Amino acid sequence: MTDTSSSRASTSAELTIVTPEGVLFRLPLAGPPSRFYAMLLDTAIVLGTVNGLGYLVHLIFSKAPGFGLMVTTLAEFAIGFAYSALLEGFWNGQTIGKRLFHLRVIDQDGLPLRIEQAWVRNLMRVFDALPLAYLVGGLSVLSNSLMQRFGDRVAGTLVIRQTPIAVPEDEFWMQQKYNSFTEYPAIAMKLRRAATPELATLIQDALRRRRELAPYVRREIYRELAKYLQTEVSPFPDELVERLSDEQYLINASDILFRDQRAWRLQL
Amino acid sequence: MILDVERFQAQARPRWRDLESLLASLESRPDRRLQPAEAERLQDLYAKAAADLNRVTHGSLAHELRQYLERLVARAYAELYYSPPTRSEIWQPRRWLRIFTAFPETFRRHFRYFALAMLVTLLGCALGGLAVHYDPASVDVLLPADYLRDPGQRVHEEEQGQGRHRNTAQNEAAFSAQLIRHNIEVALVAAALGVTFGIGTALLLFENGVLLGAVAVHYTQRGFGLFMTAWLLPHGVFEIPSILIAGQAGFYLARLLLHRREDRNVRQAMREWLVLVAGLAMMLVWAGLMEAFFSQHHAPVLPYGFKVAIAAAELVLLTIYLLLIGRRESSETRPAVPSVNK
Repeated sequence: MTDTSSSRASTSAELTIVTPEGVLFRLPLAGPPSRFYAMLLDTAIVLGTVNGLGYLVHLIFSKAPGFGLMVTTLAEFAIGFAYSALLEGFWNGQTIGKRLFHLRVIDQDGLPLRIEQAWVRNLMRVFDALPLAYLVGGLSVLSNSLMQRFGDRVAGTLVIRQTPIAVPEDEFWMQQKYNSFTEYPAIAMKLRRAATPELATLIQDALRRRRELAPYVRREIYRELAKYLQTEVSPFPDELVERLSDEQYLINASDILFRDQRAWRLQL
Repeated sequence: MILDVERFQAQARPRWRDLESLLASLESRPDRRLQPAEAERLQDLYAKAAADLNRVTHGSLAHELRQYLERLVARAYAELYYSPPTRSEIWQPRRWLRIFTAFPETFRRHFRYFALAMLVTLLGCALGGLAVHYDPASVDVLLPADYLRDPGQRVHEEEQGQGRHRNTAQNEAAFSAQLIRHNIEVALVAAALGVTFGIGTALLLFENGVLLGAVAVHYTQRGFGLFMTAWLLPHGVFEIPSILIAGQAGFYLARLLLHRREDRNVRQAMREWLVLVAGLAMMLVWAGLMEAFFSQHHAPVLPYGFKVAIAAAELVLLTIYLLLIGRRESSETRPAVPSVNK
């Protein structure tokens, strides 16, 4: 469809889209387990609906159980296909199960899927479910870099993971008011002059990923960074450094490095 | 340049929030129509967010921020470049009714795949029929179900009404639903097996043909030809063509997948596959009803001649429907390609 205007490539776990404007973004693909759980949940919902309906039909057709059975059998069959196809088609690629597991079906060009794509991929289920327990579909997912089952390949769709991400908030070290390094403007200035952009980024990155690192690793990294700064770049007086933890040292250094220059001068 | 991520975030956060709320309101609309003012604002915020993303893309810097911006840009991109179906396309019942004319039109447009499906089935029929004709013992291999192997007993049971189905309207209704469901499932598999480049579809059709040919010859040899014709044809005249159409859809899909790069309008092709499947499903509903309510009644109740006449009438109507209803196909009246798809 939009093959001419945008290109796509993929690695093992994501779809990369390059828009016509040259913006590149990646979408994380959903793996088989989460898709399987979502499908189980959807199956449970369909079965629940069908059984509820069956009970209702049973009451209405109590004098004619044969016709009741006819209605239930056909309704079950129709709902089985229509549930996923209609929900995905009209609800932006999500069924109830997919919504709860943060999955979404999209066109493989990164656009919302269309109603006919939703129908095709869901009708193709009869093939993916062969010979039992979605074996064909599962093999297709594992052998395909875009993790598509055959229905997805035919319809040109794929399933992405879409866990909600909030706007990144200010980091904790931005909130400190007093920085003891400012008491030594000459050394602080030296730090500012000597630090390369790479080093500055490294320090900030180390602080930002504080929560991702294991405590032991974090201590090691912070100690090495602080030691490097202290010995090679900006030797602050020992009596000050002794009172600071390595982490506080880095926070102070980062503050010196990134603070708005004018504000810093005023404070001096 | 040292990019101060914190300051950058603080400055950009309001416009990201704006974009997020705009996207949330757009995504909650089922028809996804953009007002001109909204489109302008979306375009503007999208361009800014994309520029922000480009600034944080390089290096391992600000992983979370990058993820967040990628998500935001992806959502905005989807809204901006998606051309939604118009409301009328979805909600006008007239468009849904068009399936009744679209089906025969599509059927005729892809008639060569139907011919191929028929050829494969006929080959199967010939093989099954000839095998039984020259080697009656092969029936044991070709016909899996016991009840098919002994026509005499089966005919007797059927005529006495001692078959598996007691002929009450109740049971017939339940039976018809099972038939409809089973037949549609089989037909869907045949249509979906197109992804095996048509090999699966061909095998399924061939097997069906062998079975059909073997049964026909077997029953005729034993002198139950008329019984069988009257037994199978009232629903068979719909059931067999619909399986052939399933094969047609399967072969069509196979060709579509083999020529994917050349075929520019995949969307239209998908729609035609769906139309074929929907059409054959409708045919199978009728076939299921006929099989349960009509075919299972035999000689004393319904004379065989009458049943065969009904079957012939059905066949004539079906042929007229498939060949004459809808727009006449000529080279100029190919369906217009929707411009949004290009």
